[in-house]
Amino acid sequence: MLQVERVVKSFDDFLAVNEANLLVQKGEIVAVIGPNGAGKTTLFNLITGQLRRDRGQILFQGEDISELPPYEVCRRGLGRSFQIVNVFHRLTVFDNVQVAVLSHQKKSNTLFHPAGSLAVVETRSLLESVGLAGKERRIVGSLSHGDQKILEIAVALGNNPEMLILDEPTAGMSPEETAATIDLIRHLAKTRGLTILFCEHDMEIVFSISHKIMVMHQGRTLLQGTPEEIRNDPQVQSAYLGGTDA
Amino acid sequence: MGIITVLTNGFKKIGHSNGGWLLIGMFILLFLMPPFVPRFFVYILGLIYVTSLLAMSLNFLVGFGGMFQFHHAVFYGVGAYTVALILTKTSLPPWVGFVAGPVAAGLVGLLIGWFCVRLTQLYFGMLQISLGSLIWAIVYRWYKFTGGDDGIHGIPMPQALSSLNQAYYFILILLVVSLVLLYSILKSPFGSTLQAIRDNPQRCAAVGVNVRRHQLRAIGIGTFFAGIAGVLFVVLEKSVFPDLLFWTLSLEVFIMCLLGGWFTFGGPILGAAITVALRTFVGKYTEYWTLILGVILILLIFFLPEGVMGYFVEKFKSRENQGSERGIP
Amino acid sequence: MILFTVCSGLSFVLGVLRVPNIAHGSLYMIGAFATFSLSKWIGGPAGFWLALLLAPLVVALISLIAERALFCHLYQREHLMLLLFTFALALILGDLTKIVWGAEYRSVSAPDLLKGSVSILGASFPRYNLFLIFVGLAVAVALWLFVNRTKIGKVSRAAAVDRDMVGLMGINVSWVFAIAFVIGCCLAGLGGALVAPTVSITLGMDHTLIIEAFLIVTIGGLGNMWGALVGSLIFGVTQSLGVLVFPQFAIVFPYAAVVIVLLLRPKGLLKSVW
Repeated sequence: MLQVERVVKSFDDFLAVNEANLLVQKGEIVAVIGPNGAGKTTLFNLITGQLRRDRGQILFQGEDISELPPYEVCRRGLGRSFQIVNVFHRLTVFDNVQVAVLSHQKKSNTLFHPAGSLAVVETRSLLESVGLAGKERRIVGSLSHGDQKILEIAVALGNNPEMLILDEPTAGMSPEETAATIDLIRHLAKTRGLTILFCEHDMEIVFSISHKIMVMHQGRTLLQGTPEEIRNDPQVQSAYLGGTDA
Repeated sequence: MGIITVLTNGFKKIGHSNGGWLLIGMFILLFLMPPFVPRFFVYILGLIYVTSLLAMSLNFLVGFGGMFQFHHAVFYGVGAYTVALILTKTSLPPWVGFVAGPVAAGLVGLLIGWFCVRLTQLYFGMLQISLGSLIWAIVYRWYKFTGGDDGIHGIPMPQALSSLNQAYYFILILLVVSLVLLYSILKSPFGSTLQAIRDNPQRCAAVGVNVRRHQLRAIGIGTFFAGIAGVLFVVLEKSVFPDLLFWTLSLEVFIMCLLGGWFTFGGPILGAAITVALRTFVGKYTEYWTLILGVILILLIFFLPEGVMGYFVEKFKSRENQGSERGIP
Repeated sequence: MILFTVCSGLSFVLGVLRVPNIAHGSLYMIGAFATFSLSKWIGGPAGFWLALLLAPLVVALISLIAERALFCHLYQREHLMLLLFTFALALILGDLTKIVWGAEYRSVSAPDLLKGSVSILGASFPRYNLFLIFVGLAVAVALWLFVNRTKIGKVSRAAAVDRDMVGLMGINVSWVFAIAFVIGCCLAGLGGALVAPTVSITLGMDHTLIIEAFLIVTIGGLGNMWGALVGSLIFGVTQSLGVLVFPQFAIVFPYAAVVIVLLLRPKGLLKSVW
């Protein structure tokens, strides 16, 4: 479904991503791991169009998306959540998700129809599926951090994507919230047939739910394989797992 | 189809809500006023209406769209000058001028906007100031055509609008219609998406919104209504001058929005009303209005950044929130 | 060249504080009026020279007061608030000028040393203009030295890029900003003092200046001093061109030039500090 081939990106002199490769098959849950600064978020930004790569190719469902701006990438079916909570802080929870749903339904430009009566069912069901149904009318600023991160995911789902990219979805969450979020992600993947690409620092999570893992180190792809292959690979162990633990 | 249903729906909605009855009552009161109050008062109210519409059109872009519209007055001036020129230099029927004003303002807005949306924030604002100043400079110097720094005076109005009271009614009606339209636009998907762009343009792009095009459309709308305000100004004053396009007016309107409350719908109206009233009142005692305006602005920045209405809305909301279940951790 | 002096100050403040100082025009105007009063009070040819020195200091003092009393409390707020504050300051100073000096035109005459013209390569140049060029270059060099060679200068450059980092290093960022602001305003005052003998000193000076200064700084690249120089040159040249070609619309020429530049290079011609 998603193919990243030999992508390179540098900022002035700093080589952030150096020949990264990634392959994600439909229906898989793939994790990208690596120490801080390995280039994971940069890679995600390259895939979803926030950044332009210098060299290399990014294919989504066979189509080259390397040059597309973020909104086009989204319309192709690739949704994304951000590492730092990135939602519409002056709007209510309901409005946040509704904006995404309306965008998906191509109704963002409807001028004279009250938004309150459009896409209500879809938005409500989405909020229910992530467990935020009771908090519709709350302004985002007043939510707990954990709820805001779940809202992140809900907004990304508003476009009914085929693939979801989650950047550190459980960062800053308590253990209970983390477990709940992981269950949620697994559940959503199954019920909606989503392909998921995510990055995390918590190795337990990574190894428990991923079908495949890609290891990045200093901008390069060290290895991509099943959890067993990764666990047993000496290179990975020395670079990441062995010496310093996340 | 769309607009008529909106207006009827809008009025129906107002009728249904409690606050709505208050608004209708106020509207009726204002409508009936002219025969009973001194001429000067009617004039001031008219000026407040015009300025309110201008402030509302700016806030549409700034408070709800998050754009640094630093030279909004240009579009106001374009609207005013267009109708003035059509009424004085051509023999076209007046209603052509009335329609051409906002259309011209909207077109100029789109033209300038097209260049500005490619940039972010401060650059957006500064480019707009440059382009706007260029238009001002042309109007200011083109004596033969636009009257230069004298402006154009004694613009003939159609019979139906020639007296002050008639002008007053016309302005009030158009103000209300414009407000209803603006309100429904803000409540529409276009409006929510616009506010989402204000809060987080990056996120909007990530959910599939073409941010630039959306902003450009919003600019077209905001400048269109500024053009209407410009036309209404001409109806009230029967003259135009280059000051309508000068950057200080743009910033004054900005202050009105700040004063009233950026993030509320009615805030700018309040801000405009206060500013015009103060200016007239203060003008009687001293010629140093700008000084007072500056002091007010400083007080606002330090003590009331959400504006007058914003302050009350916040108070109201916090009382509401005290009743909700999980508070802020 | 006067434009350059003023604009370099504006650029400097813009670069360090990231705020376009709308009050810059008013400070320029106060500089001119102060020069008038000071030179009249001191009297004689020495009056002008002393005024040239003192007027910018007066302006610097005013800006320092404004900064310490009010401005510095706003550094934590968003930039829009800072900008609006400078606008408020501009409004207040504008009217204060009216209160102190009244609404009539004033004028200052240059000392004899600078009057008249000098012949260079067959063409005659007004001596005052040569003087201005000299001062302009001196200002440019001084600023460059300050920013690149002195400790304060380097710190302010760092603060422009990352103020939190500088704060963490134990340096009082607030004072850095104060110094930068005062220097910038001082330059505005100097510009006003320099322009005093060449124009009639009136109340609308601040308005016309601030727009021109803004535009110049924008086309030069926000925060970039050499950009201010380039911008001033472009502005000056197109203005003279306009006077020659189409006098009625002379002021349109520089504005049009600015527009063209911005359309081609929206971020300004030279690299901006941001």
